[in-house]
This record gives sequence, C-alpha cells and structure tokens, in this order.
Amino acid sequence: MDRAEVGALVQSAADGDAAAWKALVDGLGPLVWSVVRAHGLSDADAHEVYQTAWFRFAQHLGRLREREKAGAWLASTARHECLKVLRAQRRWMPTDDPHLLDRVSEEPTPEESVLDSEEAAAESERVRRLWQEFEELGERCRQLLRVLMASPPPSYQEVSAALGIAVGSIGPTRQRCLRRLRSRLERRGTG
Amino acid sequence: MSGTHDDGVHGDGSAQEGPADGRFGEGELEDGLLEEELRQAAAILDPVPAALRAIAVEAHALHDLQARVAELTFDSLVDALPVRGAEDAPRMLTFDADGVTVDVELTADGLIGQVMPPGPARIEMLSGPRRFARLTADDMGRFTGQAPPAGPFALRLRTGGEVVVTEWLRA
Repeated sequence: MDRAEVGALVQSAADGDAAAWKALVDGLGPLVWSVVRAHGLSDADAHEVYQTAWFRFAQHLGRLREREKAGAWLASTARHECLKVLRAQRRWMPTDDPHLLDRVSEEPTPEESVLDSEEAAAESERVRRLWQEFEELGERCRQLLRVLMASPPPSYQEVSAALGIAVGSIGPTRQRCLRRLRSRLERRGTG
Repeated sequence: MSGTHDDGVHGDGSAQEGPADGRFGEGELEDGLLEEELRQAAAILDPVPAALRAIAVEAHALHDLQARVAELTFDSLVDALPVRGAEDAPRMLTFDADGVTVDVELTADGLIGQVMPPGPARIEMLSGPRRFARLTADDMGRFTGQAPPAGPFALRLRTGGEVVVTEWLRA
C-alpha cells in the first residue's frame, strides 16, 4: 500500500471511520498473514498471532507516531509475537523444530476448489508445483519470499520489520532466492 | 494502492546487485514475474482465512479513546531465563501506564494480579471485543480470576477515576 494512503486511512480510522479501518485490514492483512506464515507457526498459533497484531493495532491507532508506517508497525508486532510463540515451543517441547508443526491447512479454499475444475487443471498443477518448490527452499528464502508475496506487495521497510533484516540485504537475497526457485522449476521442466 | 515496492529502495538495492559483468538488468524482469506468480499462488493456496479477516474488521471496536494503554514491560516468556524442569512455572506479566502498574501471574488454574498504587478497581477481562469475565480488585489492589480464554486477551481497569487497558496479549 502507498504510504500516504496508509497514513490517511490510519487517521480516518482513528477518528472512527469503519470503512477506512476495513481498507487497512484488506490492504495490510495479507502482509500480517505472510509474516505469520513466514515464521512457520501452526494454524492455531498463526490465527492467534494474527488477531493479536490487529487488536494491538486498534488499541494503538490514535497513538502511532508515524501513521504512514502502520504496515511496518503491524509487521514488526506480528514478528515479535511469532518469536514469542517459537520461544515458548522451544521451552515446552522436546523438539525445537517448529516446522514439524507447520502444515498448511488441508481444507481447500474456495479458490482452490475452483482450480480443481477440469478446465483449470493444468494451471492448478502449475501453481501446486510452484508452491511445492517454494516450500522446499531453505528457510531464509522461504521466509523472505513468503513475506514478499503479500498482496499488495510490501515495501522493503515493511519486509525489514517483518523479518528483522536490513533493508539493504533484501534486494540481493530476493534475487538469489527467486533465481534458485526458477532453476528448481526448470529442472522439473515446469519453468 | 501501488503495485510496486514503494519506498524507492527496491531499485537502488537491485542496481548495486547487478551482475559483475555489467549486464545489469538481466533477469530482473523474470524475477518480477516469478514473484508475481508466487503472489498469485499465495492468494490461492494460503490466503488470509475469511474468519480472521472478519475478526480483524470487527477489531476496530477495540479502539478506545477513553482508555490509557498499559504497555507490556515485562513478560517472563521473553525477559526471564528459562528454568530447567520448571515447565509449569507461572507466566509473569507487568503492564505500565503512566503511574499505574498491573502485575499479572498466569497459571493453568487461573490468574492473580495486583494493581499499583494499591486500591480498589473494577476489572473486565476482554477476549476480542467481547467481555469474558468481570473481576474486582480489593482495597490492596489484589485480584484473582479464571484463566483467560484461548486467543488474545486484555484487562480493562477502572481505578481512581481513570480507565487503563493492558496491551493485547496471547495467554
């Protein structure tokens, strides 16, 4: 989302405008979800962290110092809650591999069901292969790409807040990860 | 809503990382296309669940002009060293608003807390926009209650003529 637009929406939402708030949820919700997913939480934890980030955002709405950076604020809040979940898991669980819990929900989304129609089968297969190859990338690449693929595309400030990495490292890592993914797809003959 | 990275860093960062042989821009377009393909795949295979979007939309109601926010300043989950073998150790939380402190101890059985400066308070335990329970702090500022429900919770306190809400937190 455009920063000036975000700043104006935050101001309106703080003044009580529900439509402005809804626009923020639609514009920044996919970013928050991407951050949560990038950290490989279980579905239940992912849902709670997503809610926590939005509840806090509502709570701090009128007090944000830099309204136009609301996306980075949400991304950073989600990241910190994710890290708490991972920390608690390490403490209580015999394994420290959170990805053992990382299963994308089995239930098909409406869009997925549409893809299952015959005409779309080929496209569906391509999307699935792309996703499968993406999930087999190393953790760094998976994290970065999962955040970058939020819609609308996040700014690098937001990506930086989402993952706790320097803005300057995002471009080079993105390039390396996308090229790695492409070569995996080409090896499978689907590139 | 812009369809590109909007802080200008994107272009700069990429320029510095052009291939050493000077063929700058090689593959840039393809990178962008692949990223866009991933974006579409994510929208299909791992979108924001509709129920969560609805909860976030409703959360606008949590914006509370009247209340001061008590920020989380201590969380044993983060700020304390783990104690080996003490797996059911209570979670200790401290929230601070200017001049009002709320200490909370969470166990599987319930919650106990203390408002400082000590004094009576009427307390609501919030679970999203819903009220989950009412608690009362005694003259010493002490209160007890059942464990918060699953999901994020907050405490809303009326004490000495002001309203304080703790930062939202997962129990």
